[in-house]
Amino acid sequence: MIEIQGLRKKFGEVEAVRDVSFSAFDGTVVGLLGPNGAGKTTTLRMLSGLMRPDAGTIRVDNADVVADPIGAQTHMGLLPDSRGLYPRLTPVEHIEYFGRLHGIDGDALTTQVKALMERLGLNELANRRVSGFSQGERTKVALARALVHRPRNVILDEPTNGLDVMSTRAMRDLIRGLRRDGCCVLFSSHIMQEVSALCDRIVVIAQGKVVADGTPDELRSLTGRDNLEDAFVALSGLEVEEIS
Amino acid sequence: MSSLRTLWVVWTKELRDGKRDRRAIFSLLIGVVLTPAIFGGMFTVMAGREKNAQEIKLPVAGAQNAPAFVDWLKQQSGVEIVPAPADPEQAVRDRIEDVVLVIDKDFSKDIARAIPAPVKLISDSTRDTARPKVARVRSLVTLYSSQMAALRLIARGVAPSIALPIRVEELEVSSAQQRLATLLGILPLTLVLAALTGGMQIAIDTTAGERERGSLEPLLLSPVPRVVLAAGKWLAAATFGCGSVLFSMLLTVNVLRRVPWQDMGIRFRVTDGELMSLLALLLPLVFLLSAVVMFASTFARSFKEAQGYIGVLILLPMVPGLISTLYPLSNRPWLAPIPILGQYALAADVLGGKPPAASFYVLAGVTTLACALALLALISQLLKREAIIFGR
Repeated sequence: MIEIQGLRKKFGEVEAVRDVSFSAFDGTVVGLLGPNGAGKTTTLRMLSGLMRPDAGTIRVDNADVVADPIGAQTHMGLLPDSRGLYPRLTPVEHIEYFGRLHGIDGDALTTQVKALMERLGLNELANRRVSGFSQGERTKVALARALVHRPRNVILDEPTNGLDVMSTRAMRDLIRGLRRDGCCVLFSSHIMQEVSALCDRIVVIAQGKVVADGTPDELRSLTGRDNLEDAFVALSGLEVEEIS
Repeated sequence: MSSLRTLWVVWTKELRDGKRDRRAIFSLLIGVVLTPAIFGGMFTVMAGREKNAQEIKLPVAGAQNAPAFVDWLKQQSGVEIVPAPADPEQAVRDRIEDVVLVIDKDFSKDIARAIPAPVKLISDSTRDTARPKVARVRSLVTLYSSQMAALRLIARGVAPSIALPIRVEELEVSSAQQRLATLLGILPLTLVLAALTGGMQIAIDTTAGERERGSLEPLLLSPVPRVVLAAGKWLAAATFGCGSVLFSMLLTVNVLRRVPWQDMGIRFRVTDGELMSLLALLLPLVFLLSAVVMFASTFARSFKEAQGYIGVLILLPMVPGLISTLYPLSNRPWLAPIPILGQYALAADVLGGKPPAASFYVLAGVTTLACALALLALISQLLKREAIIFGR
């Protein structure tokens, strides 16, 4: 369960996030949709506890992210914008390292590593160093290390960025699987098909503000457009004059 | 308790990661091996040169012109008379010979008539290597000349002391062992450099490298206090630094033991106790230097940028080392609480055979570690800065 209220963040003179409020419930997938530079990544960074908001509250499973980021981080699994790996470590070593940082060890860790390798299809790469991995393989490792502590809230920043068709499909299956497990999944995207295919609810952000929040059907009826992409464009205020 | 376990997790991960960085380890090894090799070679050459001056082969042209003089030369210890090349001047110019003594054909006649008999000493003053040998030959000629003078005065019933208004008495106060201590000044410098370079790769890789790869943000998403992360990385860097110091010390001492010091009239002696004292001084310094490198690299967005900062930083521990070669730091144990300078001062006393009191070691260690911990606290604060977490 993620609850965000009245979030604001300024960088110098630029107001990256002016007013963002929304909630994401367990067992649902929420898409954070917005054009580039709308404030999606900034919002997720504040949610992660690594960036301090100028105003607003963030609660994850009743933990206050601003007051106690480390406490809140135990409830969250995050795939951030930067997915850097350690080139000299193997996927298994990555997952084990982050598992231990979360305080998991022994048999519990071994079982969890095995399960994640299976789930993400990393078995063949298990003991190879990640330095030569493809973008898709790297994302899988980054995802595995984010999920090692079985977080109830999974936050993914543009998870399919740079992935090919097969990896994108695998990512969607994974997100659906997390929903089945009862997780609260929040992911950001600027790709319409992805959001419409996966999300129970969509939060549209434009210029640092939430401009719409509802099911895909609600958004369509709100804007009077049948096509979700048209609805998105209308909501983002990006609509330019029709090409005549 | 769990913080300690997490510290161990970070520490061992960084050690494993660092151990696999073949290129970094290779360049570290080269650095650690090269320094003692260079100094060992230098000292061996120096010893060889002094030996050269003691045992010389002296080419003499026109030896038949002065049989008595040449016989006298042959009787001097370490002197061997060899025939001169056909063109002595050219031979010295071509660096075939260091020095050639040419005796004039009228030498015996001039001696008999008591007029100054000419001998020519051909040398090249631009050649440093030949200088001790030339000096030795010149002093031999001068010695023979003054002995002849004394004999002539005695033959004429005059006391030779009349021709000697001033007698110079030279008193050399530095003992051979002190000379050794000066030469051994390079030992602390080598070890401090090993301390700095040993942990450098890991210190950079786990800070600037982590930022460059984009792995810092995911790492900071783990529910681990920043200070634990920073301390784990720091300990990993210091572990490599300590290994590097130990390895460098063993190597340097073994190389120095093989230098033919006896040719320089020096008895080389570094006891195991002195080596332990040096370790006790240097190991705390490793922790400080690792923290300094980490602190500087945390500001850098990339490995390259960090290396730029470190390039300047590397001078920091070198400066006191170089100063100590100009202004000896020995007998100044009160420098102990100043990190780096204190270690050099105490190391000079240890190697000079005047070991400082244990309290000075404690003083140096405590202030050095305190500075390291202060830097560690600063690094933990830096890791909370958004500009550093997200700035790539």
